[in-house]
Amino acid sequence: MSIKNRKIGKLILLIVIIVAVFILGLLASRIMERRAEAVFAYSPSGDISKFEPRNEVWGKDFPREYESYYNTADTNFLSKYNGNGMIDMLEVDPRLVVLWAGYGFSKDYSQGRGHFYAVVDIRNNLRTGGPTGDDDGPMPTTCWACKSPDVPRVMNESGIANFYKGKWARLGYEIYNPIGCADCHNSETMQLQISRHALIEAYERMGKDITKATHQEMRSLVCAQCHVEYYFNENIVEGSQYLTFPWDKGFTAEAMEEYYDNLQFSDWTHKLSRAPMLKAQHPGYEVYMTGVHADRGVACADCHMPYKSDGGVKYTDHHIQSPLNNIANSCQVCHREETSKLISNVYERQDKIIQNRDKLEELLVRAHVEAKFAWDKGATEEQMKDILIGIRHAQWRWDYAAASHGGSFHSPVEIGRVISTGITIVQETRIILARLLADLGHNKKIEYPDITTKAKAQEFIGMDVEKLKKEKEEFKQNLMPIWDKKAEERENSWTKKNP
Amino acid sequence: MKEDNKIHDKFPLIFFIFIGIFLGLFFYVIYISKAHSYLSDNSETCVNCHIMAPQYASWNHSSHREVANCNDCHVPHDNFVNKYYFKGKDGIRHASIFTARMEPQVIMIRDEGKQVVHNNCIRCHENQIIDAKLSAYVPQHHKNFEDRHCWDCHREVPHGRVNSLTSMPHAKVPLPESPLPEWLRNNKSKNNNN
Repeated sequence: MSIKNRKIGKLILLIVIIVAVFILGLLASRIMERRAEAVFAYSPSGDISKFEPRNEVWGKDFPREYESYYNTADTNFLSKYNGNGMIDMLEVDPRLVVLWAGYGFSKDYSQGRGHFYAVVDIRNNLRTGGPTGDDDGPMPTTCWACKSPDVPRVMNESGIANFYKGKWARLGYEIYNPIGCADCHNSETMQLQISRHALIEAYERMGKDITKATHQEMRSLVCAQCHVEYYFNENIVEGSQYLTFPWDKGFTAEAMEEYYDNLQFSDWTHKLSRAPMLKAQHPGYEVYMTGVHADRGVACADCHMPYKSDGGVKYTDHHIQSPLNNIANSCQVCHREETSKLISNVYERQDKIIQNRDKLEELLVRAHVEAKFAWDKGATEEQMKDILIGIRHAQWRWDYAAASHGGSFHSPVEIGRVISTGITIVQETRIILARLLADLGHNKKIEYPDITTKAKAQEFIGMDVEKLKKEKEEFKQNLMPIWDKKAEERENSWTKKNP
Repeated sequence: MKEDNKIHDKFPLIFFIFIGIFLGLFFYVIYISKAHSYLSDNSETCVNCHIMAPQYASWNHSSHREVANCNDCHVPHDNFVNKYYFKGKDGIRHASIFTARMEPQVIMIRDEGKQVVHNNCIRCHENQIIDAKLSAYVPQHHKNFEDRHCWDCHREVPHGRVNSLTSMPHAKVPLPESPLPEWLRNNKSKNNNN
């Protein structure tokens, strides 16, 4: 081979290698491009800051979840006993007024509307009164704790214990956005997370670590941040009405009752019977955990926020609502029965539970009225002691059943059991009461009061509702616009990356 | 000295440089394409291509997650050679289409793949298919499975009926993260903070 040919051969080989390197480089660059897509294609834009309370800001990245969340503004669904509209429960069942005499719930108690109304409804409710300034009003700041994604933001700024200090009105301008995204989601990964410390602390006291919860457990635990029984503990930090879950001994009515008895805690003293009462808030999660669905590993979200398909996209329906309004996506995923059949199965349980609940309610009204009669007849503290404890325990059981919305479906056997123990206790108590009244010289039936309407019942316990309504109107005209203005100013001052 | 000159004369330095670049790039491509992971049976490997995220997510939410990975259904298991032959053939096809950005909006399984999956259904569920009780409960079962695929009736198993690329936005899937090693990423973010 001539030298010239060899040189040309080398040159061609060089060019081939150069072209191969070039093409390999292109290939590498394409692979990198496609790998880089993975980082962006399935993750949010990352513009949501850690304590972003505005649901609309999250909604820009997650339009489907946000828009379905917005459906919680709907108030048109009515089931047999509840639904998503506002129902004046004191009107439906005026006996509640007597059972809660001396306590805020006798002023105003309605079936709650969707999460969308959380802030509006607590402002309008007569229980929160008509504050005229920061330090005025009947309720503590703790009442805001479940109402808004502004809560974790303010807790982060001021500290948890400080959040619970002072009157409800103190934080009126801070709590602005209704329950939403930041209450359950991590702003960076969108994973479910616990934003309320009361639940984390309750878990710690039970010796459990909530960070070890599985994803499926989290799909119930985010609900358990609020839909649980709680009380305000004044002994943890001075001046702080510290939100606490009474779970140390267990979830059952008896376990929590024992917890409260050991603390000698009472929410209020009954106006008629003077019994040291407990108010069950809404032990929805606790009752649910005793039911068969929980036993099979079904989470709250499985029925209340089932998957849905829209335009070829499958996602979690954030219209949190009664499954009775969405049988197809909730019940029928597992149960192959007709819609009407499934609904009648639910109503049957509710009907049967409410029979005994109604009876227990009537007996409790009688017990309160009879106890008042005994006091009026000159009964002593010593004579009344066991009676008052009986009333306390019986009404606690009634409330545990009544306040856990959905309890008669979530766990009909447990709720049936709790109500039956309540009936036993209140009747045992009324036997002691009857003997005491006989000793005091009264051996006749005591008439059941005329409490057929809310107005009559409120008059019976001596409440001036018109005054409460007037105070509320003044609050809505004077203080509320200031709160809204301050809140808007604050949010307008935030740049994209704030708060 | 003379020998060296000879080699040098045959292949000048520039060849070594380019061959070095070629080999370096070759290993780099193997690294960023995670080529080594394709030897495993991990389902995570299949989401090396992010367009497989809906398939991964629907499988990960199905009961099959507990007992079967992607390969258990999607490559043949009749013998070792056939398994790797099919896996290699299918894998190279997928990788080429993905790299060339030629994927369709809705990914459909091809006839060859259907046959493999169908056989794998039978491989695990053989006892259920020949179960005498089932023939009594579902009278048409035996007749039906002779002229169709299992999923023509069991339509939700396991990926569901919605299968476009966008069907599961934000699904939690172990997509490949940045190929940069940890120390380099940390270094970068430190600089950003400054």
